[in-house]
Amino acid sequence: MRFRFCGDLDCPDWVLAEISTLTKISSVKMKLLCVQVLKDLLGEGIDYDKVSKLTADAKFENGDMKASVAVLTFILSSAAKHDVASESLSSELQQLGLPKEHTTGLCKSYEDKHIALQEKLRESSLRLGRLEGVSWRVDYTLSSSELQEVNEPTVQLCLQTQGAETGNTETTIVSVSADKFRVLLTELKQAQAMMNALQ
Amino acid sequence: MLLVLSDEHKEHLGFLPEVDSAVVGEFGRIAVEFLRKGTNPKIYEGAARKLSVDAETVQHGVEGLMYLLTESSKLMISEVDFQDSVLVLGFTEDLNQLLLQLYLENRKEIRHILGELTPSLPHYHNLEWRLDVQLASRALRQQVKPTVTMKLHLEESGGDKSAKVLQTDPATLMHLIQELEKALAELKTTHCRRILRNIK
Repeated sequence: MRFRFCGDLDCPDWVLAEISTLTKISSVKMKLLCVQVLKDLLGEGIDYDKVSKLTADAKFENGDMKASVAVLTFILSSAAKHDVASESLSSELQQLGLPKEHTTGLCKSYEDKHIALQEKLRESSLRLGRLEGVSWRVDYTLSSSELQEVNEPTVQLCLQTQGAETGNTETTIVSVSADKFRVLLTELKQAQAMMNALQ
Repeated sequence: MLLVLSDEHKEHLGFLPEVDSAVVGEFGRIAVEFLRKGTNPKIYEGAARKLSVDAETVQHGVEGLMYLLTESSKLMISEVDFQDSVLVLGFTEDLNQLLLQLYLENRKEIRHILGELTPSLPHYHNLEWRLDVQLASRALRQQVKPTVTMKLHLEESGGDKSAKVLQTDPATLMHLIQELEKALAELKTTHCRRILRNIK
């Protein structure tokens, strides 16, 4: 059976199994659990004490608690990834056996936060070598060992990038003469115009 | 098959009958703990003080036990063979039984630890991907060139992580997927099934 929230693929077996674990807690507790999981997905960290308090009534063991957090994380992030509307998510979850009250709670939390979730997922998408900082300086060369009167301006550019493979900060320093810098600036302005046209 | 113990090994294990079986049991427990987590020389000194012998004798005794256990687990020798191999040391029946129990209880775990000692290549940890379309470059405007950029995260057995950045066009990616599916399909051929059946 193909499900939209799984990206038009079959639902993984473990998700089916853990949905039945989720039915053991009340729908109110599940809504609060969703709120915690959404906080974690948005990068605010998850408070495991609150989660264990919420699941204590249903006598969840450590494994069950982690499994319910995992299945909620999967459902919410997968739904945001494939841009699934709240109503279709609700009908698909009910097809999988999640009771109506639990589904309504989950979909309400999803609807509230799905734009913020998509923003966060967009930010964490693969990007190689992000530019972290630029600093520049203009110098004027008066004279050198080769020629007594040089009188030329140069630009020193310091680019701080995140390494593509390692992820550590790499610093590149270049010095550019006036003409070369003019060419660089024109080309970059053309690229910027193209980017603005696309937005 | 019988385990052949070298003379030096027999000499090291010769310390064991001189202490009571409770102490031998304790040494056995320490030996397994060392196999799990690595040796701790302070324990030798503590034990040596309590038994009023050299720390070196205690160390040889424990290491002899560790070696006996790893060799027996490595070769997966049966109970009878183990008993026969230990018989050559001339220990009492109780001590032999104790050593046999130690071997049988910890055999599976020791084999698991030994299994992790094999050299291994970096293995898959995570794959991030991105689909881009190149619209223009400095040299050529008005292009449409789709590319798939991937970052393959790898992990070594020691926990070191590395990442490789790869880029491909969709046609090569399709070819890559077909080759990998062919590799998976190899598992289902009769030749492979015959071999797997015989191993199981």
